[in-house]
Amino acid sequence: MAESTALTDLNRDYESRYGFHDPEEYLVKAPKGINHEVVEMISRHKAEPEWMRRFRHEALETFLAKPMPKWGDQQMLHAIDFDDIHYYLKPTEGMGRDWDDVPDNIKKTFDRLGVPEAERKFLAGVTAQYESEVVYHSIQEDLERQGVIFSDMDSGLREHPDIVREHWATVIPPTDNKFAALNSAAWSGGSFIYVPPGVEVEIPLQAYFRINAENMGQFERTLIVVDEGASVHYIEGCTAPVYSSSSLHSAVVELVAKKRGHIRYTTIQNWSTNVYNLVTKRAMAHEDAVVEWVDGNLGSQLTMKFPCVYLVGERAHGEVLSIAFAGDGQHQDAGAKMIHAAPNTTSRIISKSISKGVGRSSYRGLVKVHKGARGSKTSVECDALLLDDTARSDTYPTMEIAERDVKVEHEARVSKLADEQLFYLQSRGVDPEQARLMVVNGFIEPFVRELPMEYAVELNRLIELEMEGSVG
Amino acid sequence: MADFTPEESVARPGVTSDAIRRLSRRLGENPQFAQQRLNALAEHDSLPLPDRVRHLWRYTDPNLLVPAGALDPLAPVTPIEVADPPDGGATVVLQPGDSVASRLSPEAAAAGVEVAALSSAAANLTRLGTVVPAGHGVFEALNGASWNAGVLIRVPAGVTLKGPLHVVVPAAGEGTFPRLLVVVEPGAAVDLVEEHERGDGDARVYGVTEVFVGAGSRLRHVVIQGWSPGVRGHLTHRTVLERDAEALTVLSNLGGRLTKADVGVVLAGEGARSEIVGMVLGEKRQHFDLHTEHRHLAGKTSSDMDIRAAVGGRARSAYTGLIRIEENAPGCEAFQRDRNLLLSARARAETIPELEILNADVTCTHGATATPVDPEPLFYLQSRGIAPDEAARLVVQGFFEPILERIPEPLRARVRTAVERRVERLKGVTT
Repeated sequence: MAESTALTDLNRDYESRYGFHDPEEYLVKAPKGINHEVVEMISRHKAEPEWMRRFRHEALETFLAKPMPKWGDQQMLHAIDFDDIHYYLKPTEGMGRDWDDVPDNIKKTFDRLGVPEAERKFLAGVTAQYESEVVYHSIQEDLERQGVIFSDMDSGLREHPDIVREHWATVIPPTDNKFAALNSAAWSGGSFIYVPPGVEVEIPLQAYFRINAENMGQFERTLIVVDEGASVHYIEGCTAPVYSSSSLHSAVVELVAKKRGHIRYTTIQNWSTNVYNLVTKRAMAHEDAVVEWVDGNLGSQLTMKFPCVYLVGERAHGEVLSIAFAGDGQHQDAGAKMIHAAPNTTSRIISKSISKGVGRSSYRGLVKVHKGARGSKTSVECDALLLDDTARSDTYPTMEIAERDVKVEHEARVSKLADEQLFYLQSRGVDPEQARLMVVNGFIEPFVRELPMEYAVELNRLIELEMEGSVG
Repeated sequence: MADFTPEESVARPGVTSDAIRRLSRRLGENPQFAQQRLNALAEHDSLPLPDRVRHLWRYTDPNLLVPAGALDPLAPVTPIEVADPPDGGATVVLQPGDSVASRLSPEAAAAGVEVAALSSAAANLTRLGTVVPAGHGVFEALNGASWNAGVLIRVPAGVTLKGPLHVVVPAAGEGTFPRLLVVVEPGAAVDLVEEHERGDGDARVYGVTEVFVGAGSRLRHVVIQGWSPGVRGHLTHRTVLERDAEALTVLSNLGGRLTKADVGVVLAGEGARSEIVGMVLGEKRQHFDLHTEHRHLAGKTSSDMDIRAAVGGRARSAYTGLIRIEENAPGCEAFQRDRNLLLSARARAETIPELEILNADVTCTHGATATPVDPEPLFYLQSRGIAPDEAARLVVQGFFEPILERIPEPLRARVRTAVERRVERLKGVTT
């Protein structure tokens, strides 16, 4: 059957399509497993302040004490061997200040990812994370003049300790969940952004992440603070090479949008299908602030990701727009959380998922309206598309309402690729494969529309690759 | 995984094996039953309490349903008189003992409708515990070991009954264990009203109802939970539909202090159709936790769920609804809708409408909303001199009306009466 061959081919092709990787060349590589010695080593190596050293050690205690989540994909979760993972490695000495200073082998990787092109395309700054440490980083001068800080997390901690310490772990404490605790103990890299009051960053800030070493865990830590009346759009994109054993990616992303602040956080996640992507993403939205998560999940073996907005100030608005594409053997367990904790707050969740082959996508979400959050409004819309009879789709939306004066709406739909649509397109001379692709593209169009142009192009190309040879 | 340890098994109060043996002897049942009960007891003792991390128990502490002390399924109860049977139907009062009090209309008797004590019934007992086995959960296992008020109702093939079979299940004492086994043979049509009522402050009910609807049959099953205010109860219902069978399940959760109800319909035969509609009405500190599910095991089956909950005072309603479509069930249609109405500032409503779709050839939707009482009609009503409670009553009745309209007469009148009686007693519900 052509279809099954195509699917096997897809995985095999991954190596040549995205799976290029360089021989490992590392100066510091921690032994496998996590314990207080490894944590101490990471902290010493980074010459961190005492409070961060203590924070890591305490978080490790929390990680060790916390049980695995009892919900979600139990089989996949319990396949994680925490002792078989490297928790830290540092690829080169120091930061690359200039593209010319970046080592050749790393450059080669970025070339294939298109980082330099991206920069030529008037990008604000590029924080490219190669393994655990940011190696290349630049900020356009006008941003600096406006007082915008855009750096890797380690530099942020060194150079702006006060802003970092004030907001660090205030949105996601290590006790939140086992993987947030692990990240808090072992974090390395990630981005730090601060936008001063009233400053509107007009061009999106971008960073690329990439896992390279086999069994290398990546534990980036991103903190974005947008001060009163300021705004920023941050874009995170991921691809990774293919390896035989599972790799763990467990990021923590904290966003703080102060009064009238606006943050949009866009992710296109395309980890190779052996990666576990267990991420905690959460935002605090103060009075009249707006936080938007635009979240695309294509790759990984298991993704568990539920971007969250705490609406803590009056009239704050939260939004999650997401798509998930679960191919063969993949489980995209993604969703969104909106916590209404102040009056007249509003939120909207739009989730679209596509399951193909024996892929499974789950929408898992929570809308919580606390007592006193009068006049709040929220709407949740889930739309699932099943491409094959063997595919699976789950919807687990939770709504908890403790306030009378609210409006809560939820709608979900599950449908298969409609034969009529395909028939119509084919009768117009469109070949079957192209017809399927057109229907899928139409389905995700509302999401793609929200992306910057180059990402929209890239996403469409990725979907095309995933759909290749899907007609038997 | 190093830190993945199963829940510890903790000894909980319940019943002893001695009490079970005595019960089985008293009911005069065959030794095979006694063994089934002891197996269920072993299951009960080994099962952990439900994990609150799992969403079905997210909103209800299972400890609140654990018996306070050792239970005696043989505790005496005051017998209740059996009312006249409805025209063309039957009345059954389900109380502990080796016989079941019932009165059949001449039509029902002539049609060969069987109403018998479960402990002594001979036919169809191979079905007992097949759709709600002891392994279903701790409280189902407790019932499996201790059921003391059991009834078998069998409607012979091809029989259409005019009136309903009305089964009254009074709550009494710290352990009430009703068990209903209903078999509707192929080509029959019947209405069943299962009415849970009464109960003093200590009463706890652990009930299980298993229903089998044969090919081409039709069952309308009304469950009215109208317990006295202090009762806590755990009720599990499963209905299996064979090919082209059709079921309407109507849930009215009105009484009691704490209700945990798990109601499911299994669409096992091609062409089966099921509707579950429900109403939850709570005030003061009433707590309702309702789960409904449709499991599509066969292709070309269709289902619809529509649940409405109105809560005032400090009452709380939690609802989880699941549609699951299995891999080899193509061509299914499934719909789900649920609405919550919060009448007071301190009332709470939680909703999880779930979909698990394992077959692509499907049409499936669900929706949920929570809205406050629309202030306009309330204001209008009050401006006409109508007190807040009375205005809320009218709004609640309007809220439930679309559900009631889905029930055919004469069942609708019966459900409406039960709901209206409850609505009339609402007091201070908007505060």
